[in-house]
Amino acid sequence: MAVFKRTTKNLIIRIDEFIDNIDLGLLVFREAMKAYLEKDFDSFERHLKKVDTLENSADRLQREIENDMITHSVLPQHREEVVKLIDVLDEIIDSVKSSLNEIDIERPEIPVSLNKNLLSLAETSANTAEELVPAARAYFRAPYTVREKLLRVYYFESETDKMALSIKKSIFREMNDLDLARKNQLRYMISHIENISDLAQKAADMLSGMAIKIII
Amino acid sequence: MILLFLTSGLFLGWSLGANDASNVFGSAVGSKMVSFRKAAIIASLAVILGAVLQGAGASDTLGKLGSINAIGGAFTLALAAAVTVYVMTKFSLPVSTTQAIVGAIIGWNLFTGNNTDTDTLTKIVATWITGPVIGAIFSILLFIIVIKIKKSSRIHLFRFETYIKTGLIIVGAFGAYSLGANNIANVMGVFLPSFNLDPLDLGLFSISSSQQLFLLGGLAIAVGIITYSKKVMDTIGGNIVELSPEGAMVVVLAQSVVLFIFSSSGLSNLFQKIGLPPIPMVPVSSSQVIVGCVIGIGLYKGARNINFKLLGEIAIGWLSTPVLSGLLAFFSLFFVKNIFGIDVGHNISSVGSLPEIVTVTTNTSMSLIFKYLLLGIVASGIVAAFLYYLFERKKNREFRLSEEKFWKNMK
Repeated sequence: MAVFKRTTKNLIIRIDEFIDNIDLGLLVFREAMKAYLEKDFDSFERHLKKVDTLENSADRLQREIENDMITHSVLPQHREEVVKLIDVLDEIIDSVKSSLNEIDIERPEIPVSLNKNLLSLAETSANTAEELVPAARAYFRAPYTVREKLLRVYYFESETDKMALSIKKSIFREMNDLDLARKNQLRYMISHIENISDLAQKAADMLSGMAIKIII
Repeated sequence: MILLFLTSGLFLGWSLGANDASNVFGSAVGSKMVSFRKAAIIASLAVILGAVLQGAGASDTLGKLGSINAIGGAFTLALAAAVTVYVMTKFSLPVSTTQAIVGAIIGWNLFTGNNTDTDTLTKIVATWITGPVIGAIFSILLFIIVIKIKKSSRIHLFRFETYIKTGLIIVGAFGAYSLGANNIANVMGVFLPSFNLDPLDLGLFSISSSQQLFLLGGLAIAVGIITYSKKVMDTIGGNIVELSPEGAMVVVLAQSVVLFIFSSSGLSNLFQKIGLPPIPMVPVSSSQVIVGCVIGIGLYKGARNINFKLLGEIAIGWLSTPVLSGLLAFFSLFFVKNIFGIDVGHNISSVGSLPEIVTVTTNTSMSLIFKYLLLGIVASGIVAAFLYYLFERKKNREFRLSEEKFWKNMK
C-alpha cells in the first residue's frame, strides 16, 4: 500500500533539495554579481562554478522528480502542474547560470557610475526569485498561505522593471561618451538580470492558480 | 434447469457489479488515484465477503415485501429487474438495482393477486429518501473533519495524498463489503424462498443454503466488477460536483457507513438495547446514497458547482426505475405463465394461511453440483490471484532493474 512505500518520502526530500538548489543558486548569483562589479574575477569564476554545479544538480533532481511522479502515479490530479512548476523553477537557475556565463564570456566594462545601480538591480531581481522560494515550499505544506507570500514577488518584480528601465534610460540618454556597441552590450546584460525576475513572476502566476485549485 | 433459473439473478448480479462498483471505487479510479486492477480485485473480494457474512438482514425485509413462491416467478422478476438496470445503464441513465427489484416484486404481487405489505414498502421507500439525506449529513461532517485535519497538520501535499490513496483503498474495501452485505438481497433475495440446499461443510465452518446462494450472487457481482465496471468508473469522477481526492474518500466513506448501518443487525440490536428504535434492515440503493453524499459536499462548498440538470435526470430515473421494472415484470410474468406454461407463483391467501413455497429442496445431487461449482470457482479464483501476484512481482522487478540501469547510464 502507498503508505508503506518510501517513494513519497524520497520525493519530498528531492523536492526540498531541488528548491534548496534554486535558493542557493540565487544567493551565489548575488555574490557573483558583487564580485564582478568589484572586479574580483577569481571570486566571480568560483561563484560561476558553484552555480554550474547547482544547476546540474537541479536538472538531475528535476528529471528524478518527474520520473517518480509519473511512474508511481503521485498526485495524479495536480501532477502536470507540479511538473510544470518544477520546470519553471529550473528555468530560473538556468537563467542565473546563463546570465553569469554571458557576463563571463563578454566581460563587459561597467562604468563606475553604474556599479551601484546594477548591483541593486541584481539584488532586487534575485530578491524576486528568493521570495518565490518560500511560496513554492508553502504550496506543498500550507497552500492557504501561498498567495500572501506571492505579494512580495510581485512587488520586487515591478521594482526590478522600474530599475532596469531607469538604468537603460540613463545609459542611452545620459552616457554620451559610450559607443552604441557598449550601450547595447550593457542593455543585454541588464535584460539577462531582469529575466530572472520575469521568470519568478511567471512561476508566481502559475503557483497562485495552483494554490487556488488545491484549496477549493 | 434449476441452475438455468438462477441465470437471471446472476445477470442482475453482473449488472449490479458493473453499475454499483463505480459508486465505491469510481472516484478513486476516475481520478487515477487507484488503478482499476487494484480496485477491481479489492472490490470483488470485499463484495463476496459482505454478501456471505452479512447478507441475510436486508434479504429478510425484501422477503416480507413479496415471498416469491415459485422459482419461475423469481427468475422472471430478476430478469425484469436486470433488463431494466442494463437498459438504463446502456442509455447512461442513473439507475438503482434496489428500486428495480422492488418494482419487480410489486409487479409480481399485482400479477399473482398478493397484497403488498405496505409497512415493508413504506420502510423501503422511506430509506430511499433517508439514505441520501443521512449520506449528505455524514459526508458534510466527515469532510469538515478531514479539511480541519489537513489545515492544522500542515502535512506535505505528497504525504497527504499518500494517506488519501491508502484511505481510498480501505474505505473502498469497506464500501464494497457494505455493498455486498446490503445489495445481495436485490440479487438473490427473490430466490431464497425457492431454494433449500444442504449446508456446505468446509471443515472449519459450514456455509448455509442462503449463504451458498449469496456466494454465487457475490461471484456474479465480482464478475460484473471485473468485466464491465471500468467504463462506468472512468466516467463517474466529477459528474455532479468535481471532487478532490479527499472529497472522494469522504463520499465513499459516508456511503459505506450508510449501507453498513442499514445491513448491520448487530448495530440495530445495540440501538434497541440503549432504548432507541431499531434500524430497519433494508436494501438501500448505493447509487442514491452516493448522490446524497456528493450533494452534501457540493452544498458545503456553496452549491455553486452542483450540476442541477444532472440531478433532475437522476430524480426522473428514481421515479421511472421501479415503474418500468414493475411493468416489465408484470408483462413478463404474463408471457412466462401463459406461453411457456411455467409456474410463476400464486396467491398465498387463496392457498391457505401459510405460504406454500415450491422449493428446489433437499436434492442431494443439486447440493453436490452447487458445492463443486462454488468450490471450483473459488479455487480457480485463488489460483488466478496467485498467478497475478507472481506476474506483478516479475513486472515490478523488471521495471526496477531498467530504472537502475537508466540512472546508472545517466551518471
